[in-house]
Formats: sequence, structure tokens, C-alpha cells
Amino acid sequence: MSHTKVKTNSFADQVRLIPGGEHLDVCFACGTCVSKCMIQQKAEPEYNPRRLIRQVMMGREEAAFTNPTTWMCSGCDLCFPACPQEIHISEVIGAVKHLAIEAGYSSPLETVSVDEGLCAGCGICGMACPYEAPELIIKEINGSMDRVAEVDSNKCLGCGTCVSACLTGAISRPGVSNSEMKERILVAEADNGQPNLMTFVCDWCLRASADVELLESYPENVHVIHIPCSGRIDPEIALLALRSGIDGVLICGCQPGECHYQRGTLVSACKITLLNLMLGRMDMAGGRVRFVQIGTRDRGRIKKEIDGMLELLSPQPEVH
Amino acid sequence: MAKPKVAFYWAASCGGCEITVTELGMKLVEVGDLVDIVLWPCLMDFKYSDVEAMADKEIDVCFFNGAIRTSENEHLAKMLRAKSKTMVAFGACSHMGGIPGLANNYDKESIFERVYDTSPSLDNSAGTRPGISTKMPEGEIVLPSFYEQVKTLDQTVEVDYYLPGCPPVAEQVGAVLGVILEGKLPEPGAVIGVGKKTNCDECERTKRSNGHVRIKAFKRPHEILADPEVCFLEQGLICAGPATRAGCGLPCIQGNMPCRGCYGPPEGVEDQGAKMLGAIAAVIDAKTTEDVERVMDTIVDPLGTYYRFNLPDSILSELKYGNGNGKQ
Ligand code: SF4
Ligand code: SF4
Repeated sequence: MSHTKVKTNSFADQVRLIPGGEHLDVCFACGTCVSKCMIQQKAEPEYNPRRLIRQVMMGREEAAFTNPTTWMCSGCDLCFPACPQEIHISEVIGAVKHLAIEAGYSSPLETVSVDEGLCAGCGICGMACPYEAPELIIKEINGSMDRVAEVDSNKCLGCGTCVSACLTGAISRPGVSNSEMKERILVAEADNGQPNLMTFVCDWCLRASADVELLESYPENVHVIHIPCSGRIDPEIALLALRSGIDGVLICGCQPGECHYQRGTLVSACKITLLNLMLGRMDMAGGRVRFVQIGTRDRGRIKKEIDGMLELLSPQPEVH
Repeated sequence: MAKPKVAFYWAASCGGCEITVTELGMKLVEVGDLVDIVLWPCLMDFKYSDVEAMADKEIDVCFFNGAIRTSENEHLAKMLRAKSKTMVAFGACSHMGGIPGLANNYDKESIFERVYDTSPSLDNSAGTRPGISTKMPEGEIVLPSFYEQVKTLDQTVEVDYYLPGCPPVAEQVGAVLGVILEGKLPEPGAVIGVGKKTNCDECERTKRSNGHVRIKAFKRPHEILADPEVCFLEQGLICAGPATRAGCGLPCIQGNMPCRGCYGPPEGVEDQGAKMLGAIAAVIDAKTTEDVERVMDTIVDPLGTYYRFNLPDSILSELKYGNGNGKQ
């Protein structure tokens, strides 16, 4: 019996010990998950779960911890139904991320931060976040103990769902802050004569590149605003757009079950349904604000939705 | 130095704002010594003609409560604006439209129909409706006309300060009177007699699991016995606290009733109802569309809940009534 403490745990063993990491052994590295993943197609060509798993098996910790795959997986699980081995690859990646954080690595992604001077500690952000990244803590601020939100930037993936839900404007992310969103709405010059449609498109719902390119081909009266997740939309933004002279607002998110950030599309469905109910109570029904959930198989649907809205809004806006 | 001249007036309101001033108790007697009250229909006997006879800007401060619903409300708002150096929108109705403002989701005709025809406690078989002008043997009598929409005070005349609340709490009224007497009012346009953040900042109720509870079903206050120690929202009770500017001192919340939102939105929010809807929708516990529908079905009267005090001040009203809703 040896008296020296032998490091029995290989890197792969450590991953296996984290719940979800045990799937590692079942994976035979076919790469089907890679072909299903929206991140690789849309955001990061280097994103590759198969390569990450190989790095784990080969004990290449450093490479695994700095691999963008470790940090970018949102757990949408689009790859799961396709995996012949029925593995939740996202859980394996989650296990690697867990070890990476333990080893002192941190997320390279653009995440939200909280302005404690504004935060009221209501906790709405933590309830809204798919990953429970914001947490309420008690800390001393300007000499008194205060309850405020603190974001675990290793959990945050930057979807912006919390930003739209926060009522004080305390939580924000560059690119999707309230002021930036308002600015993007207000620069949209109303085009005379044509119905003005403002389309908010989540970064993930359009799978076919032809659909993404199509958005560029519309004339100026179709204003396209890209957002990380439909969860970023808040009803006030839709109303502000209408007030600024926009005739209709179309919001595109993912189909439930395929939402890149898991719950953004569900939260938005709730918001926009209720907003429409209230517009109806104010005698302003007529589909001027519409939320559509585009599935991975819905190639070409965006065109139908935009054209449908334009038709609805022509030649006269419904209201007045 | 002459005592500052102060006027109180009520338009479309319930009278609660007047009561809150009397709640100042003995302080009011002191105030009475320090100012000259030139109009206060609720408590003292003045005639409109007394005010009409005043010079422009003769009144130092006018506290105007109530929304603008009728031609009389508008007439008095304009007259008092002309006669006053400083106009304070006093209370939720003049600030944002208040409870009377909820009528903006009906039109004038359907309101009249309800009030004069179909109300169950009414016998109006003659079908009488209020007429603006009626000829009587003694001469013509005139009633104010009832407008199509409820407006806030600042959609009618220019307002210098807003003192929110339904009604504003007496301590804040006292504090504001003090500030006025000391001549320390902030820049015009400010909301006064309020705190900095939202009610959640002052609320002592606990949040469970570090604020990660999500809501499967919303409930109304009469449906459950609320735990007095725990955040209402976490108990499924829709609380407007997160969407409401602090300042009231939380009397409702301490009475174990969720906040209703009367102090209006925090800085930076243009439509309190829409923002609150966005926040409440974000806390639902849902994995499928069916879950969303199930939770949503438990939100009774979303418009009345989210826009309880601010419908005339909302973008919704602005869109419905067109440009006539712009602030002065
Ligand atoms: S939602 Fe905004 S105000 Fe509320 S706790 Fe989060 S950051 Fe603070
Ligand atoms: S941006 Fe998205 S992932 Fe990040 S804290 Fe907010 S809700 Fe959570």
C-alpha cells in the first residue's frame, strides 16, 4: 500500500463525478450535436462539443477550460433529440464549466451588471433569469445594509430577459440597455406612404441563412432590430415604437422547447398576449403587435410573417 | 412679509386627497397661521368668483387634486393655472389619472348607458340623460359637459410639481409644505414627496431561495391568507411594489395587502402598466405554452391591475386618443 497520495482522478474522471458528466462515456463522438448547434452556425465557428469531449478524454484541462464551447452552451438542448446515444451533451459541457469555474476560469461572454445605486432589491431579475444568475444579497451600500441583486457572471449568458423585467433600469448589458433600445426605436424614420413595421428578431430563431439575408432585402419601411432573445422585449418598448409612429410591431422568437435561452420565448408569449388583451380593451385590437415563435424547421416563415403584417397594416393603420 | 397664498382644489377625485390634508392634525393649524388659504371648497366657503377676481399669479401655490373629466374640471384647472405661480398636481388622479382614469377603457356612451340606463339600482324609465343645457321656466340651467376621455392635470395645463399617492401620505404632504414654506422646491417638473427607488427597497419582507421562486399561479388577496413576513409576489399575489416609486412608507404592505401602485412609476419608466406587465410576466414558472396559458389565466383583469392608477398617463391612452393626450 502506497503512502503517497496518488492522484487517481484523471480530468475525465473529475468530469464524470459531476452530475451530468457521467454521460461522457456513452458519447462516441459522432458529432451529430455539432451539426445541430445554433452557436456554431451563428456565433462561434470554433464552437464544437465533440472537440471539447475529446479534450476531456485526453486530459487537456487548459484547452477545455478555455474552449468557447465550455462557456457558450446555453442548455437549449436542441442537440438532444438528435443524439443517437440520447445524451444531454449540455450537461456534460455544464460539468466541464463547473470544473473550469472551480479552477478559477471565468466566462468570456458579455454579461449583465447591476448598478447598486439604482437596484431596489426586488429580485425580479433572479426570478426571470433562465439560469438564476442574479441573486439577492445583503450588503453595505453608502453606510447602510441594503438588499441588492448580484449577478454570477459565470452563469449569465447575456440574453437580456432580466434587463426587460427590471423596473429601475439597474440591471443592464451593453447593447441591450434601455437607453440603447429606445435609441434604436427612435432612429427608425417613419417612411411616408408605406406601412412602417418594426421587427424585433431574436439572434437564434432564424436557422436558414437565406432567412437572415432576407431581412436585409426589405425596403426602409421594414425596420429590423436584432435582439439576443425575444425575452428582451418588454411591452413598454412595443408601445414606445407604436407611439413613435410605427404602425406595427412583429417580434420573432424561438418555438417553445427550442428557445436558445430556454424560457425567453415563453415569457414573451405571456407579455405580448397580455399586451394585446389590454390593447383590445382599449379598442385597439387588430394585431398591430404580434409575437411569433419560429421553429427550426420553419424555413421561409419569416417572410410570410413580415409580408402578412405589411398586408394587415396597408393601406391604413388600424387605429384612429 | 405677506403670507403665501395657497389654494386647494378638487376635480374628478374621491375626496381622499382632501382628507389626507386634514390628517396633518394640529400641524394644519400651524400651516393655517403661516399661509393664507384663498380657496378650499372642501373645508371653507369661497366662491369661484372670488378666485376669478384675483390677479394673474396672485396665488403662490395651488394644490390641485383630481383628474380632468368634465368641462368644469378643465375650466377650473385653467383658471387656477393662470392665477397661480406654482401648480402642484396633488395625488394620483391629477398626477396620472388615478382610479377615475380607468374609465378610459370605456367610451362616454357606454358609461352613460351603464349609469343612466342599465345600472341595477336605478329606475330611469323616463330615459333621462344629463343635458348640457336645459330650458326651465326660470331660465336656462347649465351642467358641465362630460368628456370622452379622462386626462391628467398636465395634459390640460402646465404642472410644476407632482405629489403622488392615492392619497399622498400625510407625512409627505407635511414635508412638502415645509419645503415650500422654506422656499426650497427643486427644479420644476420634479416629483416631490417621494423616495428614491421603488417600494421593494424599503420593504422588509423576506425573499426565499435568494429570490429564485417562480410563480405557477397568481392569486388575489381575498383568496389566501398572506404570510405577513414573505414577499407577496413569491406568494403569487401581484404586488405593484417593484413598479412603484417609494415614498408612501408602505401602509398597504404593512397592513398585509400588496402594493397597488398609486405612487406611480420610478424614474425612467414611461408606462408603468406596460413595465409592470413585463416584470410580472417574467416571473412565471412555465416550460410549455400550456403552462404559460395556465398561469396567464390566473391574472384577473390585467388592465385594471397594471394600469390601476395610471391609464390616462399611459402610452395606451395616448395611442387610443391620438395627440390630444400630449402633456402641456
Ligand atoms: S430587477 Fe432590477 S431592481 Fe430588481 S433586484 Fe434585479 S437589478 Fe435590482
Ligand atoms: S442576461 Fe439572461 S442569462 Fe444573464 S442574468 Fe439576465 S436573464 Fe440571466
